[in-house]
Amino acid sequence: MKDWLASTLVESQAREIAVYLLGNVPGLPPIAQAVHILGIAVVMGSIVMVDLKFLGLAVPGQNVSEMIRRLMPWTWWALSLNAVTGLLFVLARPNRYFYNPVAEWKFSMLLPAVVLAFIVHRLNTREADYWEQSSRRRLVARVIAVVSLVLWIGVVQAGRWIAYSDYLFFFE
Amino acid sequence: MNMPFAEFWTCLERLPLAEHIGFTWWFPFLESIHVLAVAFLVGSILMVDLRLLGLAALRYATSRMTRELIPWTWGALCVAMVTGSGLFMTRAATYIEHPPFQLKLVMLLLAGLNMALFQFRTFRSIKEWDTAASPPIAAKIAGATSLLLWAGVVLAGRWIGHTI
Repeated sequence: MKDWLASTLVESQAREIAVYLLGNVPGLPPIAQAVHILGIAVVMGSIVMVDLKFLGLAVPGQNVSEMIRRLMPWTWWALSLNAVTGLLFVLARPNRYFYNPVAEWKFSMLLPAVVLAFIVHRLNTREADYWEQSSRRRLVARVIAVVSLVLWIGVVQAGRWIAYSDYLFFFE
Repeated sequence: MNMPFAEFWTCLERLPLAEHIGFTWWFPFLESIHVLAVAFLVGSILMVDLRLLGLAALRYATSRMTRELIPWTWGALCVAMVTGSGLFMTRAATYIEHPPFQLKLVMLLLAGLNMALFQFRTFRSIKEWDTAASPPIAAKIAGATSLLLWAGVVLAGRWIGHTI
């Protein structure tokens, strides 16, 4: 499945377009990466802030249910934007990402992080103050927050290390 | 062009610590922490800037947003500066002469000036507009300037990586 997808992408026209754009639009690689980092910044200012709020570490004067309602749409927009800017690089060099263990780590942390964010958002939409209704739910929220924080930090770390995987696997 | 303190930057590069960072996994490690800190820095200041612009979190007083979020921005800035210095010292003499790096420093400085100007001028009259959904024009300009400068810092930072 992975081999098939990788080889299909390598031969696809999408790859040619991505390679052309990255090579011919002046400054596109750093610009796309900067936009990608700004997208991560929005993730930090939305779901990560909600996690810190769940743990009682940040923004004591704000209401968590209102925060989720106000901030989560930003998370989804930022992640969509990052999918686009990220895809540009994956399309240009599919093998660099498909056969890179660090990229695998990144996406295996990204998926559960997104699922947790979705759960936090969804249940709060269905029922206002969902995460504050009982001490059990508050506890669940805190556990989710810790896992989510670790995952988002891991995603960013792994993301940066994709380009340095040589250090981990082929060094010396 | 001759850089001031040319010997100093070269000395910095030759420090055992600088060489250690430059030749081991420390460089990517520090860089990944740097990116994380920068993202968190921009994420927290973004929340304040959008409030200053009257675009988000309008139900909260502006002073509450600054009080609760700016400390996170400062904390992240400290981490970014420490990790950034570690990256910088590996090739200090090259970075200091590199236009994108110089541009990044100038924008950082301007972001600091913008913040100080806001804090010690505009923020003085906070009581008059604290709960207003739409802060005065000076506060809006401070918010917009901050957003642009930080986005510029991120872009210049990434530019350095592509050109050095």
